[in-house]
Amino acid sequence: MNIAIILGSLALGAYIIAIVESWATYGRLRLAGPALAALALLGRESVLARKPDRLFFETAPVLLLVAGLLAVAVIPLAPDLIITDLSSGALFLNAALAYVLVALIMAGWGANGAYGMIGGWRFLGQFIAYAMLIVMPITAVAMRAESLMTTQIVISQVELWNIFYQPIGFVLFVIAAMGLAYLPPLDLPLAPGDLAGGVEAEYTGVRLGVLRLARMIIILSLAGATVTFYLGGWLGPWLPPWAWSAIKILVVTVAMLMAGHYMPRIREARYLALSWKLGISLALANIFLVGVIALVVPI
Amino acid sequence: MNPELLIALTIGAALFGVGLYGALSQTNLVMIIMGVELMLAAALVNLVAFWRYLHPNEISGQMFVLIVMAVMAVEMAVGFGIAIARFRSRGSVEMEEARELKG
Amino acid sequence: MNAEMIFLTFFGGAAVWFGIVVFRTHSMVRSALALLFSQTAIGAMFLVMQAEFLGVLQIMMMATEMSVMAIFMVMFMMDPGGLGAMDMTHQKRLSLWAGGVGLVAALGLTLGVDWGPAALSVPSASAQIEMLGIELLGRSMFIFESAGLTILTAMVAATMVAIAPQDKGGAK
Repeated sequence: MNIAIILGSLALGAYIIAIVESWATYGRLRLAGPALAALALLGRESVLARKPDRLFFETAPVLLLVAGLLAVAVIPLAPDLIITDLSSGALFLNAALAYVLVALIMAGWGANGAYGMIGGWRFLGQFIAYAMLIVMPITAVAMRAESLMTTQIVISQVELWNIFYQPIGFVLFVIAAMGLAYLPPLDLPLAPGDLAGGVEAEYTGVRLGVLRLARMIIILSLAGATVTFYLGGWLGPWLPPWAWSAIKILVVTVAMLMAGHYMPRIREARYLALSWKLGISLALANIFLVGVIALVVPI
Repeated sequence: MNPELLIALTIGAALFGVGLYGALSQTNLVMIIMGVELMLAAALVNLVAFWRYLHPNEISGQMFVLIVMAVMAVEMAVGFGIAIARFRSRGSVEMEEARELKG
Repeated sequence: MNAEMIFLTFFGGAAVWFGIVVFRTHSMVRSALALLFSQTAIGAMFLVMQAEFLGVLQIMMMATEMSVMAIFMVMFMMDPGGLGAMDMTHQKRLSLWAGGVGLVAALGLTLGVDWGPAALSVPSASAQIEMLGIELLGRSMFIFESAGLTILTAMVAATMVAIAPQDKGGAK
């Protein structure tokens, strides 16, 4: 039952995000746009490149979708509304999203085209930049909750949300999450404009549809993770828990999508230098601070 | 009798055999590292199986697994460092061409 | 034959199969990713053996490690796509013998020893994580810290070895 509810709300959320993304990109609000685009993709011919690595080419979109769905499985929408409450949930989220990298490399390599391949390997460089920044803030969150269970992490924020408790961690996590979901300004693997679609360049028809849907789900799962780890998950007055989760997740998603609208694209080498020189030091400082606060002030 | 343990250990043995074959038969440094990784993975399977089916309350067994994972990471870092240095000076990482290392 | 044995056999078989694929395919990226899926299957075996934390950790770490492996393969190999189907093996007979002898020796040891009865109950996953944390930062802290320091040293050393020698001028 939970699975059906969560998958249904996921589909609805993906649809809303698709509307918002096209609105952020083209400046026109079209409510039927995503449905029409999906129908058009279904009807279009699926073109194969010459000499593709057929196995990778076919598996990559599915793997991307599976990675996103597995990440969603540990995100709680309400105290009982979660697919599996794993006792290492926060780590499992990382493990599932690590396969986004594998899927993109497979997609880029399998299509046998220069743009796709460059996009795939670029994402590896980007991954090395954001990987530490996504794990280390979660460490600090888990330190406060004294658990890796996502429901426990939400419950630990009853007194004070983590965004106020560890603001450095929040900023680092959001930046890393945007790198993971390859959202602009960190959308190097797609890079419309200089790579002609990058990883998606050789994909057409149904496979492209699956790739795009998977990306929506990854964005949603990352917004869900941000809400769970930093914005108090389902906690909030007056409204029922699921409504709070939905509102927060949508707000975070829209904020993530709009941010790219106002910034130029960042090269992966620069992102790498910034994350390792500045980001990791800040993340370590964050872990240290949270440790001190958790020992001195018990909230 | 302990059939689950036997299955896990058999798989560990098979992985070890495959890894040993790869490490010895490949001519390329990166492929040799892959063979070594497979052998270490076999060790991991055995460690977890021993922990689970013989001493589930001794958590040190799990700690060994973490140490072996650290060893895998170190092995990769050092191996790739050597590979880059070799590639820079000789333009290839083929081990057939590295006879001068014999001394 | 209970469910645990069936799953162990399935994932173990997948791990071994992908392990063989690593050395049989000509495409370098395929071989790196076959190694990844072999390691993922091993992580799934850990999950079947109720070592939840270790399984998830294995699945997470290997995705990164093997993707890095893939880019190194592409960088250093002459024919990363494997379209030329070149042979990259040597001393095949010796290696087959060595692998076979290793396999038979390990199997002989496995089947020849009396392992005693299987332990039935396992601490719950959250209890395991707590025990592991206390173990790591208690009795085994020194070992764990040395492992961390070793990784740091290896990282620095590998970077030093790999970095391009600087031309300080005057060499021309």
